[in-house]
Amino acid sequence: MNILVILRMVPDAAGELLLTGDGLGIDREWLDFQLNDFDDHALEDAILLKEATGAKVTVIAIGEGTNRILQMAAARGADEVIALPCEEDELLSSRDLAATVVDLARARSADLVVCGVQSSEDLFGQLAPYVGAMLDWPHISGTNRIEASGGGLHVTQERGAGVSVTYEVVLPAVLGVQTATKAPRYVSGSKLREASKTPIGRGERQASSFTLSASIEGLRIPEETGSAQQLGEDAENVAERIVAILESNGIGRR
Amino acid sequence: MKIYACTEGRSGQVDAVSLEMIAAARSLARDGDDVIAFFAGSAAADAAGKFGTADRLVAAIAPEADIVVAGTYARQLCDVIAAEGAGIVVVPYSANGLDVASSVAARLDWPLVSYVEKIARDGQSLSVVAQLYGGKVLADCSVPLPAVLMVNPGAFAEATATPLSPDRIDTIDIAELVAASRVRPISIDLPDFSDVDLKAAERIVCVGRGIGDEASIDLARDLAALLGAEIAGSRPVVDNGWLPKLRQVGKSGQKVKPKLYMALGVSGAPEHLEGMGQSDMIIAVNTDPKAPIFNVAHYGATCDLFELMSSLSERLQPSDT
Repeated sequence: MNILVILRMVPDAAGELLLTGDGLGIDREWLDFQLNDFDDHALEDAILLKEATGAKVTVIAIGEGTNRILQMAAARGADEVIALPCEEDELLSSRDLAATVVDLARARSADLVVCGVQSSEDLFGQLAPYVGAMLDWPHISGTNRIEASGGGLHVTQERGAGVSVTYEVVLPAVLGVQTATKAPRYVSGSKLREASKTPIGRGERQASSFTLSASIEGLRIPEETGSAQQLGEDAENVAERIVAILESNGIGRR
Repeated sequence: MKIYACTEGRSGQVDAVSLEMIAAARSLARDGDDVIAFFAGSAAADAAGKFGTADRLVAAIAPEADIVVAGTYARQLCDVIAAEGAGIVVVPYSANGLDVASSVAARLDWPLVSYVEKIARDGQSLSVVAQLYGGKVLADCSVPLPAVLMVNPGAFAEATATPLSPDRIDTIDIAELVAASRVRPISIDLPDFSDVDLKAAERIVCVGRGIGDEASIDLARDLAALLGAEIAGSRPVVDNGWLPKLRQVGKSGQKVKPKLYMALGVSGAPEHLEGMGQSDMIIAVNTDPKAPIFNVAHYGATCDLFELMSSLSERLQPSDT
């Protein structure tokens, strides 16, 4: 089985985001970039499938800081790692990236493409269903368990409210992973040092294959509604005020 | 113009988000437009009474298929659109919708915007407000028609469940299409609420990524016990295996509405807010003053989480007298 894993480096949105002067992007100069969390889980599922079936895992990464991430992927067990070029201030749109992934899947005779279910930059759609539809391959997103079964896969998808559905999937297929079958593994420093010698291939981007797309007219930071009455920064005072609030609402200690 | 609202449900039930999609579609309709609800499943789910203010229902039915997989759903919807034409398709941001929206956009070569919060129709285009970076940025988008929109749950109030007369329901047999699919459901796991049912809990203490590690959850568990509350977690906490899945609140977990919801170290991603935003009283504690959880909370604090849990637990201890 040939597995293609797509990793995207996205801005760390945990901190404050500032907009560029033209209001069409976020200022990335001082931002940290991190591996899209869902893609980390996709990588883990690919490596677990490799361990179960002897599959070959090729990892493709795009965004700022890909070399570091590709070395990590190699340390975790990827057989081949490839970086895709990216504009400095590019919003990584899955709609644009899909044509490149489709091209790579065909060129490398992939049986399975796995990526994260979504990323924080998926404004114009999600990668797995785009790639699945363009290849006319079956696709499932929101997966939390993938197991090899015969010549295909058994894939479990979260449907919300605690409901899960397990599917039998014929390969080739595309999966959007939400949670890996097991938590992403820890990689030791010595393995990372060893993997730093892994050659990183360079891939090419394909132009988007879509005729018309939506466009961003402007970005803005949402107004803080200020709905929360602030209780402060001092834990002791906050605790005292919370107890008073609970008691005055009849929901104190039980 | 025909405007399609994608609806969802199984076992004779229609999910609430379906009525929200019909409301979204209706808000875009002008005189002479048709709002068409699209459903795929094993039965049209008492269709006459459950498809709101739609003008018509197109029900794609396979009697044995309680779950119609997204690829089949999208393919059939595209076939209907190819036969009848359409200008806009609205899809819910759900497990099924995540696959359907991009699949339909790719198959029809139409524009798509995800995580939509607001829509305005302006001639042959739409002005759309959508969320980026987990809701920390809003994008004002121009969308040429025809187009697909994936709409956040809660962005539109549910349409009224107005009965549809039988002559406004078209049924399509998709049994062959379902049988030909290369994805086949083999089991459905339903939640067992005998251990805990967060939906029934009056008080919930929810921990998020800010709790740091599994051991620290014990502090929150002690606090919850003193409050007579259930302990719950956001997605990262459950993904890490620190709490079981049944205790997850949010889009892919439980949707709750307790009298008290205490969010500790929860940032408030849109997927989480969807699951708890209707709680009667929300108290949020997060060191990031810009955390989106403060936009839905009634009370907020930016103090140290662990100092607060300790101090609060001390104050809530039963007195000796």
